[in-house]
Amino acid sequence: MNKMLFKLIIFTAVASSLAFVGGCRSKNANSADMYGSDNLYGDPLMGDMPLNDIGGLPADGDRSVVDPVFFAYDSSQVNPEEASKCEEVASLLKKGKYAGVICEGHGDERGSREYNLALGERRALAVRDYLISLGVDPSVIQTKSFGEEMPSDMGHDEGAWRKNRRVEFAMY
Amino acid sequence: MIRRLFIGTGVLSASTVWAQRAVVEREGSGKIAINLAGYRAGSDTASQTFLSVLKSDLNRSGYFTVTSSGATINVTGQVQAGSQMKAEVQVYQVSSRQRLLGKVYDAPAAAARSLAHKAADEILYAVTGKMGMASGKIAMVGNRTGRKELYISDMDGKNLRQITNDRSIIVGPKWSPDGKNIVYTSYKRGYPNVFITGRSKPLASHGGLNASGVISPDGKSMAVILSKDGNPELYIKSLRTGFLKRLTTSRKANEASPCWSPDGNHIVYVSDASGRPHVYIISKDGGTPKRISSSGTENVAPDWGKNGYITWCSRIGGKYRIVVGNPAARTMRTLETDWADYEDPHWAPDGRHIVCSRTSNYRSAIYLLDTLQDSPVALISGSGDWYSPAVSP
Repeated sequence: MNKMLFKLIIFTAVASSLAFVGGCRSKNANSADMYGSDNLYGDPLMGDMPLNDIGGLPADGDRSVVDPVFFAYDSSQVNPEEASKCEEVASLLKKGKYAGVICEGHGDERGSREYNLALGERRALAVRDYLISLGVDPSVIQTKSFGEEMPSDMGHDEGAWRKNRRVEFAMY
Repeated sequence: MIRRLFIGTGVLSASTVWAQRAVVEREGSGKIAINLAGYRAGSDTASQTFLSVLKSDLNRSGYFTVTSSGATINVTGQVQAGSQMKAEVQVYQVSSRQRLLGKVYDAPAAAARSLAHKAADEILYAVTGKMGMASGKIAMVGNRTGRKELYISDMDGKNLRQITNDRSIIVGPKWSPDGKNIVYTSYKRGYPNVFITGRSKPLASHGGLNASGVISPDGKSMAVILSKDGNPELYIKSLRTGFLKRLTTSRKANEASPCWSPDGNHIVYVSDASGRPHVYIISKDGGTPKRISSSGTENVAPDWGKNGYITWCSRIGGKYRIVVGNPAARTMRTLETDWADYEDPHWAPDGRHIVCSRTSNYRSAIYLLDTLQDSPVALISGSGDWYSPAVSP
């Protein structure tokens, strides 16, 4: 009995120290200076920046603050002419006007729904990477892909599709 | 909630006489003429429903033509119902007078449809030795409430029921291997998480995308697309321990739509690592994926049937068409369809038919395709859009 109790104490101690180490590591991973400013926009996605668990973080925000970033067909590259919108978001976050942002990725109606979910997520992650390269703390940027499920234009032509391939900024 | 939907066929008590299956001569149409004219149905609604559903199931199976004279197979017996229903079914080969099936079904009258589906599958098996599809269920997404909710219907498109009331968005439903529950992606908690019916806690709720969850044939793990490490990748998650194993490392590509091989050793999925979305197979232990699609500008939404064949959706000449491929022989063919877009194919349990969505004029409906000869059949259409069908195992 005592032996079991002892084991439990040891286990608890080890578990909490592991949790402590884990906590430190994620804190380091969240500091922006770990990632150089050589993440150029327009580059293929860097794709190695772990995301936070969303527990307790807001799931919604104000989408009217900064206009959406638009994308080419089947592409998740942030085009140079769209970059200024990301810069605006970065500046608002760095000034502390908002606590964080949800980058909401969308696609047009063409292609499979599940593939478009992944594509929307890659668009959101590309914007997130660019924001990180501008010095935004990764821990305040969430991504959320809606795939083709939430078009902003209900039309079925290139004009509508162009408006639907986007990442919206939900600021909170 | 879901479990209740399936007990209908579980209450059956049956006395079965399995005769040796006879080799059945086929008629000119390539179909077996089956005669139900001698089958006596009570005048009550349940008995009438039983007989009419049985006839349509036999016709839809692809193997039979229901006739009233000159048949190869005779079905006799009777059905009567009060609150309880009793259906007696005898199946004879006309030429030899050999009895192929003799069975008594007992069930609540409310289960008339599922009883007829079961009888249809057992008649098909007794006559041809082939598995039927009539007892299957279709899970799908519908938007008739203005939201995208999960629905289930019988294999004939009837008995349509709304399963979720999340008032959110549901994507990509897939059946659990025991056919009792459905795994799907929902935004009901604000972010795309993977849920299973009958359980409020999500199966996957990591940061970023959690989508396309599908449970392995042994029920122990789930293939799923997660972006928690910074890019959408294919993972296997243990349903017991939650342990995650990442299978793909394509930092410049998307992965989507995993589906297990029937033996659970491989996963077929979509990746655009080559620049365009194509269908790949990877071992459940990881390693180098093997691409199986070659033509078409997009190859998406694969489904690996128990018959060993993989069906997927391929964009050919600007239209979405249904392709059936044999991964072992590396052969494939495109099904004959009209000018509409056919997407999200899923094998029916008979391994012959495919359920998919058909979109024309921007409206989607659920269709049944025959890989052998019959014309496509609309199963569910109207009252909004219906898409992403998945058929129970």
